[in-house]
Amino acid sequence: MSVKKLLLINGSPRKKGTSYSFARTMKQLAESMGNEAEIIHVIDYFDGKERVEHLRELMIQSDIVAMAAPLYADTLPYPDIWLMEKLIGICNDELKGKAFFAVGQCGFPDITRIEPLLAACRFFAEDAGMKWLGGLAYGGGPMINGALMEELGKKGEKITSGFKLALESIFRGEEIPSGAQELITMKIPKILYRPLVLMMNQRANKLAKASGNLDFKRKVYLE
Amino acid sequence: MSIVVLDAMEGRNSISNKLREAIISRGEELSYIELRDMNILPCRSCDACGYRSPGKCVFDDDMHDIHRAMARSSAIILLTPVRFGGYPSTLKKAVDKFMHMCLPSYGVKDGHLIHPTRYGSKMLMGIGVQQGCSKGREASFSRLVENNAWNLQFEYKAVVLDSTGDMESIGQNIENLLKEVC
Repeated sequence: MSVKKLLLINGSPRKKGTSYSFARTMKQLAESMGNEAEIIHVIDYFDGKERVEHLRELMIQSDIVAMAAPLYADTLPYPDIWLMEKLIGICNDELKGKAFFAVGQCGFPDITRIEPLLAACRFFAEDAGMKWLGGLAYGGGPMINGALMEELGKKGEKITSGFKLALESIFRGEEIPSGAQELITMKIPKILYRPLVLMMNQRANKLAKASGNLDFKRKVYLE
Repeated sequence: MSIVVLDAMEGRNSISNKLREAIISRGEELSYIELRDMNILPCRSCDACGYRSPGKCVFDDDMHDIHRAMARSSAIILLTPVRFGGYPSTLKKAVDKFMHMCLPSYGVKDGHLIHPTRYGSKMLMGIGVQQGCSKGREASFSRLVENNAWNLQFEYKAVVLDSTGDMESIGQNIENLLKEVC
């Protein structure tokens, strides 16, 4: 199999958060399979530290492009949509036939919340003439909070296995298999939600106390 | 009844005019915000709005005026082109900060984890505009509005208008939609 170039786009404004950690693992896996991979950060382009024209060149040189992004208000963060609009405006047919896939992650465990993010990536691929190879959804991103997969024990190993299975198909030009999603899905029984909420709210109260703002329920815009 | 319209249309257009006229003719209190003219900085996920500055972004931009209007309103209408089956960047720059309408603490509703609402329930109406018909993108747009409303614990309604349709039927559609809000 020929060496393929994978361009991983970190769609988070955080350059060392969970989306980056996922992209980093996928880069390592791609390289271990004999391919080339590179990570870029959307926020660098949004902030004008890098030129969108430069990203266009990188995408043209790549065989496969991927977006790894957090869920902001139920879909991609604003800078990612801004970038996609720019790319559609300048790329004409230059991305036609390249492969595209996405990994979305959100705070809550329910991965169906990520569907609009993956749909936005799919429609972007369609508009750019790229081949959509599917998406993966991870619920519970803040529990990883930017940690590296190798620091997460069994959980990290399962996520890495899911990404490996997905990448093996992607490098063959095939869609991500459902088994990859199963491997990365964190299963929290709904019966545990209430005790989980109690625990998370205790933490919320501690954070409020530490910041000196006990009244975090203030209706600030009605004052 | 107080209505906030967040208009993300790309320039002056008949659909925006129809919507504005229809709300005014009903005598409702209206804050009509054209987002293309607004300076709204992106969310940097700094988490300051959780506890350090509860419910309020620490960056100084036009979103504070929008939030003030939203907090006092009973309905929020998003008028927007459909982009990638969802919102364009012009609208998303505002929507990314909608979570300030919720608390940073947690709750459970209908078997799902939520952030409790800060300002009570309201109506969220998403009016998407696209050229021609794409059922997949329409469904995706509606799903996004539904998810936004669900997270905010608002009632919702989502429709997609075909910009190539005749203005008379678009105007009628808008009138019918407003009946559900006002």
